[in-house]
Amino acid sequence: MVKTLSGLVLSLVLSSACALGQETWPVPEWSVAPAANSADWRDVQAYAFARRDEHQRDGVRTDALLVIKDGRIVYEHYAAPTTRHTPHLTWSISKSVLATLLGVACREGRFALDDPVARFYPPMQAHPEVRIEDLLHWASGLEWQEDYEYAPLHSSVVAMLYTRGHADMAAYTAARPAAVAPGQRFLYSSGDSNLLAAALRSMVGAERYGQYPWDALFTPLGITSAVWERDASGTLVGSSYLYMSARDLARIGLLMLREGRWQSQQVLAKDWVAFNRTLFAKAVAQPGEANPGGQWWLNQPLPGAGRPWPSAPAETFAALGHWGQALYVLPSENVVIVRFADDRDRRFEHDELLRRVLAAQAGRQP
Amino acid sequence: MKRVLLLLLLLAGGWVWYERQALADFTAILSAYSAKEYCSCRFVMGFDAAYCQAYVRQYLPLSGLEEHTQTREVTARGLGVERHARWHSEHAGCGLLP
Repeated sequence: MVKTLSGLVLSLVLSSACALGQETWPVPEWSVAPAANSADWRDVQAYAFARRDEHQRDGVRTDALLVIKDGRIVYEHYAAPTTRHTPHLTWSISKSVLATLLGVACREGRFALDDPVARFYPPMQAHPEVRIEDLLHWASGLEWQEDYEYAPLHSSVVAMLYTRGHADMAAYTAARPAAVAPGQRFLYSSGDSNLLAAALRSMVGAERYGQYPWDALFTPLGITSAVWERDASGTLVGSSYLYMSARDLARIGLLMLREGRWQSQQVLAKDWVAFNRTLFAKAVAQPGEANPGGQWWLNQPLPGAGRPWPSAPAETFAALGHWGQALYVLPSENVVIVRFADDRDRRFEHDELLRRVLAAQAGRQP
Repeated sequence: MKRVLLLLLLLAGGWVWYERQALADFTAILSAYSAKEYCSCRFVMGFDAAYCQAYVRQYLPLSGLEEHTQTREVTARGLGVERHARWHSEHAGCGLLP
């Protein structure tokens, strides 16, 4: 009798899950699809995990590749020493996660996109016209050179992270001269992202700031592996130094895929995600390089150019970082992809990986 | 010939003077980069020492890279500059010391 009753309750629960469209969430953990890592993924595996030469460190060097479809893991592989527990450096993926964190602060009414940055970060009184929206578009207009290995002598990002700017990265950026009027030109700048990280401090209050990424975003999403390094002034290095596991970063991707909703909770306003995904067209197309949105990267073409990644749908968007780090979201496919890597040359191509992932997906359909 | 050499020397001297700030900063990049990224490689990402030594290796060699495992501090020396990084906490990871 008890058995029959519990069976009845179970079937009721299951059928109500069906009624809700059977949306799958990684709560508490990711579930793995029955045919995960099947032979269909051979070409993906061959491209992403070619034999590694630890001495030369050349070619495509994937540390982690995780593919989520319909909220479940369909492919997952790691190259030692990275494991599924490793909080891996995400480099500039940090910027897009910072934007997502700002999305929570925006929903809480702490700022508006057209607020001047100086309202939240006084050193920006030197550039009173720069708005939060301009920083999110990497269009502060401040002079900046974003280059790592190739131009160390004049790289603003190297100076910010390691020499003149490292103790207070936002102050270093705010002290740069203006090159053009704000909002007029995309110029990729890690400095712009760290100004956002500094502005967040007074938006949420200095005493809450250190814990805010966890309280507002990581803990509600079940992210447990995150580490976010700060400069000596205590500002989050919003441009570069967030670490998390591939499975945890995929939670950010799923939140974005589902337009800011986590289960029944609207963590980000839909409008915020729409802003992240709106092309900032005052940019120049670069072959193979995604185009700027609101602190996320888009596959939407700029006027007069093709899609940056021709193999992927135009609505594909991504968070991207140095040495091949990537979080791709493909809304029409219901797919989220996390890639961690140690690519030291330019041989890896986003489009080639996406092409193979989409082909593997197609192979799985009857 | 001498005049040409003198002119070249003057040009080189002028370039060094013009780039004096960038050149002075440049010597500090190697040790700062190595100390910070090695610290994070070891104590945030949790990789072993041999992997992390190779992970931070650049074209220019370091003259020293030491970790103090107990205190989670790293010292890196290169191009005549010594820099230190330290692990702070579970949430805040590593940072360069002043």
